[in-house]
Amino acid sequence: MRSAVAQAHLAGLVFALALAGACRPAADRSPAGLVTVTDDAGRAVTLDTAARRVVSLLPSFTELLFAIGAGDRLVGRTTWCDWPPEARRIQSVGDGLPPNIEAVAARRPDLVVLYRSGPNVTAAEQLERLGIATALFDLNQLEDLGPAARRLGVLTGRIASGDALARVLDSVVAQRPQPLGPTSQSLVFVVWDNPPIVIGAGSYLDRLAALAGARNVFHDIPTPSAQVSIETIAARDPDVVALLSDTAARPAWAGRREWRAVRAVRDGRFLYLPGTLFGRPGPRAAAAVRELRRRLAVVGTVP
Amino acid sequence: MVALAIGAATTALLLGPVPLADLRGTGIVWDLRAPRAVLGFLVGGSLAVAGAGLQALVRNPLADPFLLGLSGGAALGAVVAIAFDVAGAWALPLAAFAGALVALVLVYRMALAGGGALDPRILLLGGVAVGAFAAAVTTAIVSLAEATELRNAFLWLWGGLATASWDTVLVVAIYVPLPLAVIAAAARPLDLLVLGDEPAGYLGADVERVRRRVYVAASLLTAAAVAVSGVIGFIGLIVPHIGRLVWGHRHRALLPASFVGGGTLLVLADTVARTIVAPRELPVGIVTALIGVPLFVLLLRRWTIT
Repeated sequence: MRSAVAQAHLAGLVFALALAGACRPAADRSPAGLVTVTDDAGRAVTLDTAARRVVSLLPSFTELLFAIGAGDRLVGRTTWCDWPPEARRIQSVGDGLPPNIEAVAARRPDLVVLYRSGPNVTAAEQLERLGIATALFDLNQLEDLGPAARRLGVLTGRIASGDALARVLDSVVAQRPQPLGPTSQSLVFVVWDNPPIVIGAGSYLDRLAALAGARNVFHDIPTPSAQVSIETIAARDPDVVALLSDTAARPAWAGRREWRAVRAVRDGRFLYLPGTLFGRPGPRAAAAVRELRRRLAVVGTVP
Repeated sequence: MVALAIGAATTALLLGPVPLADLRGTGIVWDLRAPRAVLGFLVGGSLAVAGAGLQALVRNPLADPFLLGLSGGAALGAVVAIAFDVAGAWALPLAAFAGALVALVLVYRMALAGGGALDPRILLLGGVAVGAFAAAVTTAIVSLAEATELRNAFLWLWGGLATASWDTVLVVAIYVPLPLAVIAAAARPLDLLVLGDEPAGYLGADVERVRRRVYVAASLLTAAAVAVSGVIGFIGLIVPHIGRLVWGHRHRALLPASFVGGGTLLVLADTVARTIVAPRELPVGIVTALIGVPLFVLLLRRWTIT
């Protein structure tokens, strides 16, 4: 039932894309036939022609590539790439942490897209030495989605779709967060219980919450996540505890005495957010915001 | 000494990431801060006593409760519990405890292999070997398992008193007195062991029995500590040495001093861990090292000068 909801949102997004695409003339290639973008490591990524065999080493990139209609160019993905469902049919090259260079190279890609992190920068250098083009993109915040979509569009020759998706995503980010009225809910994203780790302002989840009209009680922590004490969670007294979880089963730690000092845990006000939609920033960000708003409304009516 | 401990406990109750004034009327101080301070005291004290006993036992000043493979075993137990999704609020501490016990039995059997006598050298080497093997299996499980969450299991290993509650305190408070008493009862023979096995034997110590009892008791203390608070380093290593520098080598004084000193140090370190980067928190093992090591160096210098 949940996946049906998600698919309805996806259909809505595809429709919006089609509209946006129709209104815009296709951008043309650079005169020499060369395809060039600058990645987030500041490197110029140059291909002779649009990439035909792409390995994506981040679920968000896989989703973006499918969303711009370049899913058929994908020849490799990570074990985590589970959306859209068609992505599962693409051969996996491992968990990508760090990338298995041999497995990636064996797919004979003409482009490998990596998330910009220390180990991935090293992996990109190794792939470049094998003559395989690589692009390193940031994908930490919702703001990173638009630029990534636009450049993936250029690299795969889906310039118009990439642009259209980027504009939709940029407009999601440009939305003013819902004003936080007296009725707005506060929440805490609990990532792990022992030690307690919560989501801070550096994560896209903080932004998703704000767009959905809720307040992350740990918005004052600038990093994506941080270890805090249960005492601080209890004192900040969030209305709702949000968990990234595919099932609506109450976590075992909720039964422990120390956690029962937190009112939302005591009252059982948990929000279970499925990983495929909320576990990473992706092209369905608008759907994620709507879904979060709907779920917050539901949990808000529980006495 | 006792005044110091009371001071540490008071500080721990008064200081926290949230100012005390904001907590009036809530149960937070009683439900979260107080059990955390008590648990910290019990764990710190147990680790220090275990360290003092083991150092005398293997006649090696480097002996540390976690050198004997117990932390590796506990980590493996915890990771297995998470990887196979063992349900239950107490699954993690119980699995860690079981893992530590398995490591304890393995090392103990190894040290007995050469005959009836427990060989302290094999206790050390076997502990390191079992710990390394457990670490390899742990890493294999973490890298093969699908769950991203498993990576967070490593964080637990860094140590922390986050899950303290009166339930945990009760369990630990019932559990630790027996092994503590076993080590305390061996205070006199432990003094003699410093002279060597043979002289100790001539002076009336049953070296074999003392060694077995103290080793098992120290390991049981460490297993409980790691089950409720992960691996908190340096307390078991440094506090007994500080105790020897200040109170001398007699175990009748050293063991209680280590208990109170270890407890005090951990409670203070945890107070720092909770408050210094508030609202964030540091793993307490980092703070015990940051406080314990300079203190230790200071005392070493004073001791070598006089």
